[in-house]
Amino acid sequence: MSSIGLLHSPGRSGLSLVALGLPVLLFVIISLISPSFLSVQNLSNVNAQITALLIIALGQMIVAISGGIDLSVGSVLSLTSTLLVSVDPTLSIPTVLLVGVCVGLVNGVGVAIFTVHPLVMTLASMTFLQGLALLILPVPGGSIPGFLEALVDFSFLGLPAAFYWCLTFVLLAAFLLRATKFGMRLFAVGANAQNAARNGVNVTFYKILSYVLCSTSAVMAGMYLSARVASADATMGASFALESVTAVALGGVQLAGGVGSVPGVIAGTITLGLMTNGMNLIGVSPFVRASATGVLLLIAISLQPRKAIGA
Amino acid sequence: MSLSLSQKKGLSLPKPRDLARYIFSLPFAYVGTVLLLLFAYYTRPALLSPLLLLLIIRQAAPLGIVVLGQSLCMRVLSLDLSIGGVIVAVSYILTSGVLPFSEPVLVLICVGFGLMIGSINALLITRLRASSVIVTLAMAMILSGIVISLSQYHAPSDAPEILRYIGQKRIGVFPIALFVWLAVLIPSVIFLRISVFGRYVDAIGANPNAAWTSGIPYIWVVTIVHIMSSLFAVFSGLLLVGFVGVGSIDIGQDLALNSLAAVILGGVTFGSGKGGVIGPTVAAFMLTFSFNLLTSLGLGEPGKLMIQGGIIAVAAIVYATRQAK
Repeated sequence: MSSIGLLHSPGRSGLSLVALGLPVLLFVIISLISPSFLSVQNLSNVNAQITALLIIALGQMIVAISGGIDLSVGSVLSLTSTLLVSVDPTLSIPTVLLVGVCVGLVNGVGVAIFTVHPLVMTLASMTFLQGLALLILPVPGGSIPGFLEALVDFSFLGLPAAFYWCLTFVLLAAFLLRATKFGMRLFAVGANAQNAARNGVNVTFYKILSYVLCSTSAVMAGMYLSARVASADATMGASFALESVTAVALGGVQLAGGVGSVPGVIAGTITLGLMTNGMNLIGVSPFVRASATGVLLLIAISLQPRKAIGA
Repeated sequence: MSLSLSQKKGLSLPKPRDLARYIFSLPFAYVGTVLLLLFAYYTRPALLSPLLLLLIIRQAAPLGIVVLGQSLCMRVLSLDLSIGGVIVAVSYILTSGVLPFSEPVLVLICVGFGLMIGSINALLITRLRASSVIVTLAMAMILSGIVISLSQYHAPSDAPEILRYIGQKRIGVFPIALFVWLAVLIPSVIFLRISVFGRYVDAIGANPNAAWTSGIPYIWVVTIVHIMSSLFAVFSGLLLVGFVGVGSIDIGQDLALNSLAAVILGGVTFGSGKGGVIGPTVAAFMLTFSFNLLTSLGLGEPGKLMIQGGIIAVAAIVYATRQAK
């Protein structure tokens, strides 16, 4: 395999040795540096830490395959968290799901029907929703409905709840991409929207649907994260927009559309999670960690070849 | 919004429909500013006193300067969201005392720093063809992360004397910041109007493929635009640090998004090749004025964010539909 081949494998999965090898390499390095890394306690911590990111990254992947990007996921997560403590517990789940679908619809309609650039559209909704979340809950606090907390705090067959959350969404995403017409058409739309349209695919519909799925995944991640920390915070999700894009890009998903895979996204998310955890263990300041994520994002994005220059 | 306005004016003119079309084709910022001023006139007339207006203009100057860079970026189909990171870094270089140099040298270092960040952004965007949004967002993240972790050791403190003078003092009734703004704005307008570079920017914005095929130095134009944007961010940072009087780790954080909103309001959109410098400049004033108005109406940060997001979305949608026709 040539050096180019190592970085960019052909095919629509986008999986490359780098994408899959990076988490393994990090795993080995961190376990050599920090002996406490391999403890069951720490590994289940890593699992719990990356669950929300993984769920969002899977949603981001769907949008990315369709050729878009969604920067509003972090704000949707925050908004979900604030809504969970603000509305009546029996109505909380329907409310947040409805909000997720609405946000996705607005983003999708803006991008697919009004042809606004996805970055501009989702940046706008990101800002708007962050404001809304702060309006609903100016100071962190509140209590999450009990049944949600129970949903993230069980263990089954010796494995923690976080594992089952991950498993559910991974299987769901893999099923959607591999086994449904939706998956096939999504790749077609992302690879070449015009060709897809000429072959009878309703491009507008699939683009909108991808944004709806992405926002819904952010709602799910918001429910998980809020329940896990047992409280709400209107800025909880602020870092997720870029982190999810980083995870997706590291996993070989092409932001230009048409290329991506669930295993790649899992690998990308684990890479990011291991890096965060590893730096945590050696006692690096969280702000340096943010910088490091930025550097990683730059590297991941630079490895992706594309034609256009600009946004 | 613009319809009611045009109807009013249309009475005295023979073709109201043409006028309506004309007003609808203007950047949002012009109509918006007029409407805002009218609204303020009826609800908060105190905001329209010359003294307060001049204060608002002073407050708008840093935004007005970064908007120049952002509008250039957007005209070549790119974006610069690293502005906030650059400003935080500038404030840190100037006020932390980490670098033991005199004030003019520190300012020069800031300019050099802007050149460097702009070049790195441009390199990643043009040579590696990475998405400008991701590149510049990551850059902002890296810069503010570094500054925050460094400030645990050297906290930012007072701004240099000369910058405080420029940021806070006035000549007659006019704040010096206004003159700085004009001193950056007017040469930019003239340069973009008469230079070949300005034509290149228009050409790329109008049709990137055609520009590329016809041999316009595409990569160089985008590179220079990004370097200029970072430099404008540095100037804006200098002004802002002087204006605030002390450095901080969250100074100028809202400028990146505000500049984006201002540019869109000012009539510059992706891929239209249209849009000048004046529209975004008016929009910078309009945004700052609206934030003051919102504060005086008792709406805080959440309201500001929601309006900002709403403005960007609505303006972008309207322009996109207009373009599609």
